[in-house]
Order: sequence, then structure tokens, then C-alpha cells
Amino acid sequence: MLAVSVSLKIPDNTAYTALVALRKLGVDVERIERSEILLFDDQDAGALVARITADERIFNPNKHRLSVLESAKPSWGEVWIEPIFGSGRGAVAWRLYNEHGAPVKRPVLEMAIERLLCNPAIDRAVTRDLFDRDNRNEDE
Amino acid sequence: MVNELGPNVALRDDELQRIAEQLGRQPTAVELHAFDAQWSEHCSYKSSRHHLAHLPATSARVVLGPGEDAGAIHLGTHAGERYAVVVAHESHNHPSQVVPFEGAATGIGGIVRDVLCMGAEVIAVADPLRFGRNAHARHVAQGAVDGIGAYGNAIGVPNLAGDVYFNEGFDDNCLVNVVALGIVKESDLIHSFAPKGAEGWSIVLVGKATDASGFGGASFSSATLDAQESELNKGAVQVPDPFLKNVLMRASYRVFAMLRERKITAAFKDLGAGGIMGCSAEITAHGGYGAEINLDAVNVAVDGMPPAVIAVGETQERLLWILPPDVAFDVVRIYNDEFSLPEVAYNARAAVIGRVTPERRYVLRYRGSVAMDVDIEFLTGRIRDELPYSEVIRHAGAAPELPAVDVETLFPQILAHHDVASREPLYRRYDAVVRGCTVLPRGAADAGVLAPIPGSRLAVALAVAGNPRYGRIDSAYAAEHAVVEAMRRVVAVGARPIGLTDCLNFGNPRKPDQYGSFVAAVEGLAHAATELDLPFVSGNVSLYNESADGHAVPASAIVACIGSVEDVAQVVMPGLKEAGSALLWVGSRELVLGGSVLAEILNVDGALPKISFAAERAAIGIVHDANARGVLRSCRVVSDGGMLTALARLAFDAMLRGRAIGAEIDFGNPLCEAGGFICEVSDASQIDITGALRIGQTVAGSQLIVNGVQFDIPGLFEVWSQPLAELYP
Amino acid sequence: MKARIAVPVFPGTNSEDETVRLLRDCGGDAELVHWTSAPALATYDAYVLSGGFAYEDRIRAGAIAAHDRIMDYVIEGAEYGKLVFGICNGAQILLEAGLVPGTGPIRRATAAFAKNAPEPHFVCRHVYLKLEIEPARCAITAALPPGALVPAWAAHSEGRLAASPEELERIVSDGHLAFAYAHADGRVDDAAVPNGSALRCAGLINRTGNVLAIMPHPERDGWNFNHLDRPSGDDVLAPSGGAALFRSFIEALS
Repeated sequence: MLAVSVSLKIPDNTAYTALVALRKLGVDVERIERSEILLFDDQDAGALVARITADERIFNPNKHRLSVLESAKPSWGEVWIEPIFGSGRGAVAWRLYNEHGAPVKRPVLEMAIERLLCNPAIDRAVTRDLFDRDNRNEDE
Repeated sequence: MVNELGPNVALRDDELQRIAEQLGRQPTAVELHAFDAQWSEHCSYKSSRHHLAHLPATSARVVLGPGEDAGAIHLGTHAGERYAVVVAHESHNHPSQVVPFEGAATGIGGIVRDVLCMGAEVIAVADPLRFGRNAHARHVAQGAVDGIGAYGNAIGVPNLAGDVYFNEGFDDNCLVNVVALGIVKESDLIHSFAPKGAEGWSIVLVGKATDASGFGGASFSSATLDAQESELNKGAVQVPDPFLKNVLMRASYRVFAMLRERKITAAFKDLGAGGIMGCSAEITAHGGYGAEINLDAVNVAVDGMPPAVIAVGETQERLLWILPPDVAFDVVRIYNDEFSLPEVAYNARAAVIGRVTPERRYVLRYRGSVAMDVDIEFLTGRIRDELPYSEVIRHAGAAPELPAVDVETLFPQILAHHDVASREPLYRRYDAVVRGCTVLPRGAADAGVLAPIPGSRLAVALAVAGNPRYGRIDSAYAAEHAVVEAMRRVVAVGARPIGLTDCLNFGNPRKPDQYGSFVAAVEGLAHAATELDLPFVSGNVSLYNESADGHAVPASAIVACIGSVEDVAQVVMPGLKEAGSALLWVGSRELVLGGSVLAEILNVDGALPKISFAAERAAIGIVHDANARGVLRSCRVVSDGGMLTALARLAFDAMLRGRAIGAEIDFGNPLCEAGGFICEVSDASQIDITGALRIGQTVAGSQLIVNGVQFDIPGLFEVWSQPLAELYP
Repeated sequence: MKARIAVPVFPGTNSEDETVRLLRDCGGDAELVHWTSAPALATYDAYVLSGGFAYEDRIRAGAIAAHDRIMDYVIEGAEYGKLVFGICNGAQILLEAGLVPGTGPIRRATAAFAKNAPEPHFVCRHVYLKLEIEPARCAITAALPPGALVPAWAAHSEGRLAASPEELERIVSDGHLAFAYAHADGRVDDAAVPNGSALRCAGLINRTGNVLAIMPHPERDGWNFNHLDRPSGDDVLAPSGGAALFRSFIEALS
């Protein structure tokens, strides 16, 4: 499976508003990046990129930046918010950084998820911890 | 000197030379960009203004004609106060082609500021749209509509009117026009020039932090598009922020109230093309002053931007006030504290950035040095390009010719045609009813209607028109027709037409045939408006709507008409009302095919229908009179899809309200688009029948019987309502 | 003394003026309270959270607004028993704040008005709200007749009730489902639902019936001139239609 991240190269107003809101809620975060994660069953990254960049419904080079993730899982300091009741294969990724420009630690991320980024009634929050644990369970 | 951003400068050599001669030196980098913006077609109208002077712009109702950010026209009097409708009309074609969502959204954002800065409350937007037919155009059509919705819905301004046509001629260049309406007490109108006695007053910039987005926008929208250019122009992508705009509007309303209380005459202006420089230069120059601006006082999004970008960049969501210094202090407090702008968007705020000077110079300071110092008249004064143009061949008025048509087969095809089928899948994405003032929402009738003043029976109607099938054949005719059609639409809802606006969307003015098409359209608008005694109170020109291979879009003079209604109870409500009414065709009914949907389906050419202005004037009188006497039950304009389409839509509207009323008519070719009105009247003897033709009557039940051919109305509704749902699911 | 109603304005609210206007035309004493004046909210007797896009619904509809200082006062008031009426964005905020259906802790939502389905687009459509509870079950609806039909406009892109099957079960069994979408003749079916909402839900109440959250806007079909099928002869400026629900709200306060 391949995961593709599509983010804005124009200013992301939503990420800014989320940052202000989280800081007001006492979450110690300095910078936020947001992107859309799309999951594909492809193997060939080059062919996938070619296909996506040709699809105007997903990608407009004038406003979007696209990258294929090294592995189809969230990185540290990042949460993928997935709809529980949807058929789509995708998520919104939020990457939180501290004042040193490093990904935030687990408690900070969890606080951000619980207070604001995830409505547990309709969303599932997938973090690196959760992802690794679930996959370990599958391996066992 | 020519700076590092040289390739983005569109000034011609002769213009550069003129600047150097006037300054007595080479321009600085900032000056170069300032003149580039100020002398662009977008700002200067250098090749169009002298033609636009032919448009009639006066009437007893005109409160403010063209020249400021928006025009204003008298609506009526309520509780002893005179009220005006403020109206502006613009295009955002090129940005919408490159980034459809953001381009169209910022189009709404810009037009709303044009109305807001007149001191008005913004009450409606409308959007005439023209999209192509290829795969890319499909993406543009979806993105632009979503952008318009996302912006207008969030700021809470209802989308009252609009239209959409799909035509191959727009494959490389969509047209996204935007209209906004405001309401203001005439005594509270705020002008966009510094008032008398403003020497030493503060210049206050308010809104979003200035960033590099939209740098070079003025040149961008006046240069021909091609695929590679899109990528190069990415710095010109303007980022909409309707959240900030929502708060800015409400904070500005609060400022208006404070200025009224303190009886302060201020000036207020939208930042558009040319950014801080263009706006501050024009608002002071047009009051007879100069300006001194300190660029270091500008709130910026990133440090280290070149002064030219700060001065000329076209960051959205910004406005500029001219205020007495003590008042400026309070205004800044309202924006920054009471409405907490800095928390709404990054570094958004109001700040004093300069002052009005008696010397007629325009001076920009940056980090202790003078970045620009020029004669303000030279910077903002009118420049004129006399470009050659070729005469356009007129196609109107040839002899009619009519093939016999098979209505049974053709009518469903017409109803399903992309220019006739229901627009609801598109406009249901727009909020039509926010503000609670809506009388006729978009799509309910030929025009949208609002009752904008709480407690008052006054209402305002708005409709747009501009048929590209006509534009492809005859530019001047299409322009005349756009005026007539927009006017008919407001008449059909029971309103009195009181004013017009236009947006002229044309090709490259440096190509004589394309420029000739523009010139012919202006003459067409002028002729029709003069004949109908209607003023153009504002307007806009969008040139260079040309594809990379040199084809201009179909000639598109798009017109909006504003109507007034003295008493909202007089508005003609949608749909057939009763069985047994007489059906009349009032007004022009030239039976020719040219430019019609029928001609396109049959793939035939034909002469264009003639416009008889005498017949138009008479028809308006008949419809008004029938309404005033209480005999007019319903009414629709005969437009795209012809008389039978108009009649079917009256039946659909009745069906949607739970009334099963059909019609039986007898008429030669009911698919011609020759205009006029279909009127349902309770008693035909009550009205002057000389200008009207009785074509049949309404009947109980769900049938439409045309020359003996019987259609099932719910079946026709299915055919008509589905096609656009494929594009807008 | 007449009860005082506050219509709080969040940054991004857009339906505050017509909401206040209709409350006043129905006899209420209503005024706007801006977010920077939130502490003033404590002195009011009831709250009407109006439509709009508070914080532009960034992240999720109502998510950030649910944490705004305004909501500290609204939550405190609701717990004290004050009437709270949320319309559209106001309703989304009440769900995000956990006040409605109120089956979990405060500010831990148990349900949401989520993205419309099957198409995730904004939809502007005339609808009818049908009262699905005993009128007296909710103070705000108490003056409506049983099964009342209230005309309104749906205008939202996040109005689909979504929750776990257990929570939906609880919403039905514990009487939280206040309004369903209906046709003009009162029929309730899927075709009447503009957004794919679970339970065809248009409105929910909390356990004690003092908090009501509805998605459609009755105030946009609240005066005679708003009605597309208005009979001629009526006073065009008089409140009617959607005003019935506002009148019932005002009545509950007196």
C-alpha cells in the first residue's frame, strides 16, 4: 500500500486557526502542518504520482504539494483523523511541532487530539503509537 | 534600473521611457512596480475608458454613477429616509481558470469589499458564469462553484441571482463574473476619496497581513493565459479568507455606526489591483491631496519581503480608511480589540500606516529611506491607449426562415440541453436565504428579490443576462440583447428596472478584430440602455480572455439589472396559479432561429431575432399594468429554450408548490427564443391587448398540450431537472 | 420582569441579525453579545445560538466554538436550567460541546452533525421540521401542537446526524429526537432529508428538555414575505411560518 500526502503550498488558514485554538486550550504547540492523506493499493510510486498529478479532482499544481510517504503510517508528532462512518480511504493528517521545531511529545499530541482534533463520536484518531500497537497485535 | 523581478513587469518600452522622462531619472524598483500596476489595463482601463464614456450613466435615480468602487441608485423612501442600492460588478476570470476554487472565492471577496467600502450593508451577491465543455473545464466549473459557495455562504450574504452557460468557446478561459448589492441610507454613503479638510488625516490599513500572494495580480489578469504561464503565475494565487472577511464586515458595520454617531465624514476604499500603493494613491489623489506612507508600519505575514511586494502585492481582505487622527485611534480599537482581528487571522489588524499630505506627491518610506517619490497626478492620472480596431459585421435583422419542427421530439431535447436544464444542482450549493430577507430565492423566478430593510415594504430585484450563443454571432447584438433580457427578468417578477451594471469580457485589445468586437459591444450596450432609459451605474472590463492559440472567448457583455418594488406584496409569485387563466405572449415575438438552443440542436444557422425597443417599452407597460390591476397571476420571460420552456417552467413552479395546473396552447413554432413574456392573466379584457397575443389557457391537471401534442408535466420535469446533477451531484 | 435573551456572536457567526429580529417580532427581548464581551452573558435568562460558520467551522463544524469562552457561560446556564436554543451552526456547537444529546460528559461529544451524505456538499433547500416528541417534553416546543410542522431552510454542509449505533438507539429510546425532516404534507421519508441524517433527524434535545439543537433555519422562513406560497392579502411583514417555533420559545420564557 502507498500513502500520498497532499498539502497546500498556499497559506493554510485552517492550520493557523487550529494552532491558535490549541494554544488557547493550553496545548504547548508552536507550529502545525495539515495535509490530506490518500491511501492506494499501488506498488509503483512513480506511476501513482503520474496518475494523481493528472487528476484535477485531487491535485492542482498551482496550490498543492504532493509527496508519497515512505511508509503508510503517521510519523511521530502526527495524528491521522479518519472518519469512522465513511467508505473513503483517507484521513486528515495534523503534524504538531514544538518551539524547537521538533515533533511534539506523545502527551502533547494526545491532549490536542482529545481537546480538539478528534470528535470520537465520528472520528478515529490514528497515531504512530496506536498504529504500531495495532499492527503488532495483528502480527501476534 | 530594471530589478530582479523584471520579467513580471508588463510595462511597454514607450511607457518606461515616459516614466523616466517625467521623473528625470530611472525609476526605483518600487516605482517600477507601482507604475506597472497603476498603468495596467486592469487599473487604468487605458484602452477601454474612452469607449465606456458612451454608456449612459445618469437618471433621476442615480445617487452615484461610475467612478468609485461601486455605484448607487435610489431604491425608495422608508420612515422618512432615502435608501440607495449600492451595486458593483466585476470579473475574476483568469484567477478562476488557474485555481478555480480560490479564484472564484476571491472574486466574491473582492466584490463584497467594493460594496462594503461605500458604507453599505452587503445584502446579496450574484454570479454569471461561463464554462467550457472539455475535461479541464469540468474541473473549473466544479471548483469555481464550490469557491463561490464557500465564500458567500461563510460571510452570510445570500446568492440572489446568476446564470451559467456551457460553451466550447470557454474551454481555455472561463468567465467568473460577480455582482454584489448593498443597502445604505443615502445620507450615510461613504466615498472613496479623501474629503474636504483631510490634510494631515491618518491613513489606516485594515485587514489581513500583507503577504506575497497576488503579487503581480494586476498584470496577471491583463495578460493572456497559457498553460506554462499558469505555473509561473503561482505567486499570483490569491488566498481567500471568508472567516476574516465575515469579522471585517461586522467590525466595519460597527465603525459605520460610530462615524454616524460622531458625524464624521471619512473615506473608505477596497484594496484591489495595485495593493496598498494603488489604493492609498487613488483615495488621496481623487480628493486633491498627496500621501506619505510608511511601509514599516504595514502588518506583514513574513519578514524580509521586498518593499515592492509590500507596496503593490494584492493580498486579499484589506481595506483603507482616511480618518481624523483621534477617530483613527478609536477605529483601530474597534477592529483590533472589540473584534479581535489579530486572533482571527495571522497578524491581521488595523494600523495607521501614513497620512494625507497637502503636497501632491506620493511618497513611500521604507527602513529610513525613500522608496518612491512621484507626482501623484502622474501616477494616478488617466492614460489612454488608442488602439486600432476593425468594424464588426452585423448579423441581426435578416429575413426570418423557419423549418417545420417536430415539437414532440425536440422539446425534451431542449429541456435537457446544458444551457436550459435546471440550474438547481449548481445553486443549491449557495445559501440563498441567509439574512432572512429573501422574497424570491435564486431559481424560483426570473429574478431574485429581497426585502432588505427591516420593517419596510420596499424590495429590490436582481437579474443577470448575456447569451454567448448570440455573442459568437454578433457582439453588438448580444450586448443589446443582454440589456433587454436582464431588464425583462426584473420586470417579470413585478419590479421596475432602475439601473444596470456591466462586465465586458473580451479578447486581446491589441488584435483589431477582437478589440473591434469589444467596441461594438459597448455601442450595443449604450444603444439599448439609451433606448430603455436605464443608466449604467457601475461596471468592469476584462480583456485578454484569449486562449494560447489566439482565440477570444465568445463576445460576452454581461449585464445585471436592478429593479425596485414599492410594495413587496406586489411581487409576482412563481408558477401558474389557476386553471382557466388566459395565457398571453406579450412583447417581442420575432420567429427566427438564430442563436437559439433549437438552432444548436438542429445544427442550423439562422438570422438573429430583431430587437424592437418600442415593443419592449410597450411590453414593460403591459406587464406592470396587469400586475397593478391585480390580473397578472404569473409571468416568465421567453428566453433560452423558447416560449414552451418558459411555459413549462411556470407549470413546474406550480407543481413544486403542490398545484397541478397545465396549459393548452396553439402556436406556430413554440421553440423560438424571440423574447417577450408569457403571462397568465385572470381576465385578458382588463389589459391592453394590442401588444399581446393570446396563445391559449391554463387547464386543470398535469398536461401541457401544444398544437395537439400532449406532454406529461412531471415527466418533463424529470427530463429538465436531471442533467446538471451529473456535473454538480 | 421580561426574560432577557442573548444571541451570542462568535467570530464567523452570520445569522445573528435576523435571529434577533424574529425573536423581537415574536415579542422577545433579545440582543447580540459579541465574543469579546462574553462575561456579559451571565446576566441573561436564555441563549439562542444562531447560524453561521463560527471560526469558519475549521477542523469540524462547531469544534473550536465549543471551546470559546461564550460556551463557558452557555454551558453553565444550561446546567442551571436556562433555555438554550441552537440553530444550524448553533446546533453543531451544542453537539460539540456535549450539551445535546447530553448523554456524555461536557465537551465530550457523543454525536455530531457531520459532513452531508452521500454528497459532501453544502445544500440550501426548503424543508419542514416535524415535531417528534410530546410538545411539553421540551420547554422550547411546549406551545406547539403535537406533530407540528415548522417550515424552514436547510443551509449547511455538515448536518448529518452521526453517532454509534448504541448512541442512536439511546437518542430514540430516551426521547432526544425532537424533530425529523418532513414534506409539506407531514410525511417523513428519506426524500425529505436533505443531508443523509441518521434517524432523519433535524433536531435533538437534551435529557431535561431545556436545550434544543436544530439544523434548519426557521428564521429564514419567518415572515409572510419569505413564503413562496404566501396567500395574497396577508400582511407581508408579519411573522409567520417558522416564527411558530420562536413564539413557543418566547412563551416558555414568560
